[in-house]
Amino acid sequence: MAWKNVSLIFLREVKDQLRDRRTLFMITIMPVLVYPMLGMGAMNMMLTFNKQLRTVVVLNADELPDSPALLVDGSVNNQWLNDDADVKSIRVVTDLPDEQPVTDAESPEKNEPRRGLTDAQLVSNGEQLAKKFQSLLNSTDTDEMTDAQLSAIQSRLSQQFSESGIQVLVIIPEGYAASIARLKTETARADAGNESDLPVLHVLKNSADDKSSVAFARVRDLLQNWESALRAETFAAASLRPELQHPARLRWVEIAQGEEVAANIWSKMFPALMVIMTLTGAFYPAIDLGAGEKERGTMETLLISPAKRIELVFGKFLTVMMFSIGTALMNLLSMGLTGQHMASVLGGAETRLNLEFPGFESLIWLLILLIPLAALFSALCLALATFAKSTKEGQYYLTPLLMVVLGLTLFCLMPGVEITPLYSVVPVVNVALLLKGMLLSTSQSGDLLMYAVPVLVSSIGYSALAIWWAIDLYNSEGVLFREAEKFDVRQWFVSLTRDKEPVPAIPEAVFCFLIIMMLQFVAMNYLKPDINAADSDRQILRTLVIQQLTMIACPAIFMALILTTSLKATLRLRMPSLTSMIMGVSLAFFVHPLSIELSGFMVERGILPPPPPEISRVSEILSGSSLPAVMILGVLAVTPAVCEEIAFRGFILSGLARGGRLKVAVIVSSMMFGIVHMIPQQAFNAALVGLVIGLLAVHSRSLFPAIAFHLCSNTIASLHAGNGFGLQPDGVFFSEVEGQLRYETPTLLLCGIAVSVVIARMIRDLKAEQKEKHRTAMKSFERPAQNESFAAEI
Amino acid sequence: MIRVQGLTKEFHDFTGVFRALDNVSFSVPPGEIYGLLGPNGAGKTTCLRILSTVLKPSCGVAEVAGTNVMHDAAAVRSKIGFMSCNTGIYDRMTAREMVEYFGRLYGIPEDRLQPRIEEIFDVLNMHEIRDRLGSKMSTGMRQKVSIARTIVHDPTVIIFDEPTSGLDVLVARNVLDAVDSLRDQGKCIIFSTHIMREVEKLCDRIAVIHKGQIVDEGTLPELADRHEQPDVEELFFDLIKKRENDLKQQNLAEQVV
Repeated sequence: MAWKNVSLIFLREVKDQLRDRRTLFMITIMPVLVYPMLGMGAMNMMLTFNKQLRTVVVLNADELPDSPALLVDGSVNNQWLNDDADVKSIRVVTDLPDEQPVTDAESPEKNEPRRGLTDAQLVSNGEQLAKKFQSLLNSTDTDEMTDAQLSAIQSRLSQQFSESGIQVLVIIPEGYAASIARLKTETARADAGNESDLPVLHVLKNSADDKSSVAFARVRDLLQNWESALRAETFAAASLRPELQHPARLRWVEIAQGEEVAANIWSKMFPALMVIMTLTGAFYPAIDLGAGEKERGTMETLLISPAKRIELVFGKFLTVMMFSIGTALMNLLSMGLTGQHMASVLGGAETRLNLEFPGFESLIWLLILLIPLAALFSALCLALATFAKSTKEGQYYLTPLLMVVLGLTLFCLMPGVEITPLYSVVPVVNVALLLKGMLLSTSQSGDLLMYAVPVLVSSIGYSALAIWWAIDLYNSEGVLFREAEKFDVRQWFVSLTRDKEPVPAIPEAVFCFLIIMMLQFVAMNYLKPDINAADSDRQILRTLVIQQLTMIACPAIFMALILTTSLKATLRLRMPSLTSMIMGVSLAFFVHPLSIELSGFMVERGILPPPPPEISRVSEILSGSSLPAVMILGVLAVTPAVCEEIAFRGFILSGLARGGRLKVAVIVSSMMFGIVHMIPQQAFNAALVGLVIGLLAVHSRSLFPAIAFHLCSNTIASLHAGNGFGLQPDGVFFSEVEGQLRYETPTLLLCGIAVSVVIARMIRDLKAEQKEKHRTAMKSFERPAQNESFAAEI
Repeated sequence: MIRVQGLTKEFHDFTGVFRALDNVSFSVPPGEIYGLLGPNGAGKTTCLRILSTVLKPSCGVAEVAGTNVMHDAAAVRSKIGFMSCNTGIYDRMTAREMVEYFGRLYGIPEDRLQPRIEEIFDVLNMHEIRDRLGSKMSTGMRQKVSIARTIVHDPTVIIFDEPTSGLDVLVARNVLDAVDSLRDQGKCIIFSTHIMREVEKLCDRIAVIHKGQIVDEGTLPELADRHEQPDVEELFFDLIKKRENDLKQQNLAEQVV
């Protein structure tokens, strides 16, 4: 790769992007102007809303006790307010005959009718509401009405309240002041009195109305403070110690320092913002550099230049990555400063926060983690955008990526979700959770550092894979010169059945996998409860056989019959060599200890979860069933070996390998084989073993060595689970842990060497074979074409 | 200079296999303009894309300046200039920046690049638009920039794929004049078009291509004599009709078999 060309392409693309208004808008205008403006605007609207005057009507105000006084001269007694400024936002209207209707002397709206209603009308509305409320109370107490009638009254009351122009209605009961005075006297005499004598002060509010909710919050504080003063007076009259008002002596102690509160807020804000903004920053440049280049017709011009495809991809990738990082940093800075400012302005005097920015160490981690994340998104976006033939199509392809990433981000934001060994290798989640941890607490950063290596290594690995995919797409004629394809279902169906080939196409192989996956989900929902609740072992075995036959083997065989011309070629039903069969059987013996110990290790370390209960049921059958061993092995070893091999090394691998990329086909088919097992421990094992079986099938060109491997492997696993080996733990090669036979290091070493030797031989044979094929293919470019097609020659 | 023999290209998609080129052979010496004449979808662009190494042939040989396109694609790319019908001009770059960019990609040393750009701008009369952005250029200006970009590295082989498509008569004339002057410089040129008058005016030899196969090839007088048709347009229709009839008979024969 010539870095001179990469640098040329990079500089041109950067210059081009900087001249693009959309990019400039995303990386500068949005963070510098839009976020602060939106933030400040929203904050000002909220403040204005909170400061607006709210009407509180107090009925029977003359029944309030003189001491402590809730109202002074018909206005709110300031001493019960938490914030003196609140007095300006509460407008009290009472039914006192001698006072001015508007009680807040400083209010500019003094004496002005509210929403066209005079204060007298407000009081009148309040009285009507109070009457209706009283009738509702009476009906509820006497049980005279049906539920429907009560609901109708409630509904009318609610509607009337909304139309009344009142935000909060305080109804002071008759004889309230006298009752309070009596309470004080009785308490002073240590007379318990009669509880029913104490009248109730009702406060009506409408939670469905934001204005009412805001007014109620203020009135609630006011009344609670007033009630507290009333209680203090009552206690004082009874010569009781004031502390007895709070006998539990509760005190809430906040030990969090301001910076820790800030860290908590940043730990929720920054990882989510970083992920979303990094993707957003890559989104538009990638579309422009990928699909846009095709749309403008400049892609072909570029491809004809001497720059290699890898140089083109790297130049473009670095450009997208630069804008992705730039957008993320600018947005984080802007949102951080806006958030800091909003936190310092919003809330009451006690709740205002001084949000200090995260420490230097956390910011360094943010930068370190941003790089692999930006690399991953840039490469993915570039690959997807290259696949598209227009910018519009590019947006269609990239939107699902955005949705998936949003889902992962929301998951990371959930309370209690922290980084674990498993999460440390999950793309996007690993970076977000590590950053969350780093921002949350610097004191734990030592523990978190152990995750830094897997997070960085896996993220770099995913990025490399994504770049490799992008380069691969740049080498694909079908992608670069894709014409507008009008998908016609009828034509597609006709072509499927008419233009059949001996082996399936790649999309058909993927479709087969998706069908098997769907059926497996059905199996999870319907068959798993059957297994758990089965009365007999026979019933469980029958369920397993049905699952294998109908949900794995049948789709593959059916598709092979419908979509291909040769069942034999598709399912690799060729006679294998004796060597291949021996290799299949022997590999099963050597691979088993390695896979058992590796998955056991993963479970012990918490990387994989322990097996679910239905696996335990199967283990119980293996260890203590009265059924004949042949029947058990027939179901648990033979059936999966045949059915799964027909599907995965038969139809799916044949289809995937049709593109000529055996390595990719084996890897993808083994991953599919793992995924279809659903249970994490089994999926991990199956994916690893799938690699070996796939290689075996490709090397032998036959399904039978793969079936032999699978059969032996299942039989050994069944015997191992049921302790049927008869091997005695000697402490050197074998040991026993909790009744399970475990393999010791010498056994694992021997098996590892044996497996490596066999696999190396198979790879060497395949490479030699491919070299020969390539040589034959190149020969065809030295001579004119014959009538038969190139594909047929190969 | 260009040698094509038995070139075949097949595309696979969900509808099956499509053979875009079927056993095509021709050769073009230096200082000659070879016209590829055919209707839309005849296989002209596929053939030219194989010559410019962006597509790989399914079978056959294609050599450009003595280099097989399959053996050393990078060497071939450095020897050819390719101008497609969709000018391939960046909207947010000026004419000068674009020609400089491609000059540098072709590895021209800086001390030679600037004089070369000045020389091309003189020949194509482009000084007025040197600092104009691609998005602000007319179609004619864009075409000039495209030609400048195509020849900046002084290629020995130049491929024009329908370069006058969508141009008005005046601009098309300028393009044709530029192609003509390149022949005079001894370049080996392939000129693909579906406009008969351009072929008549410009090409030394032509090949009529339809449905992936060359129907006939030769100088215009040779073709006129061979098919007893002096009118170029009628000659073209006759050859296309001949190929259609051949294909029908071939299909019929396949069905009978």
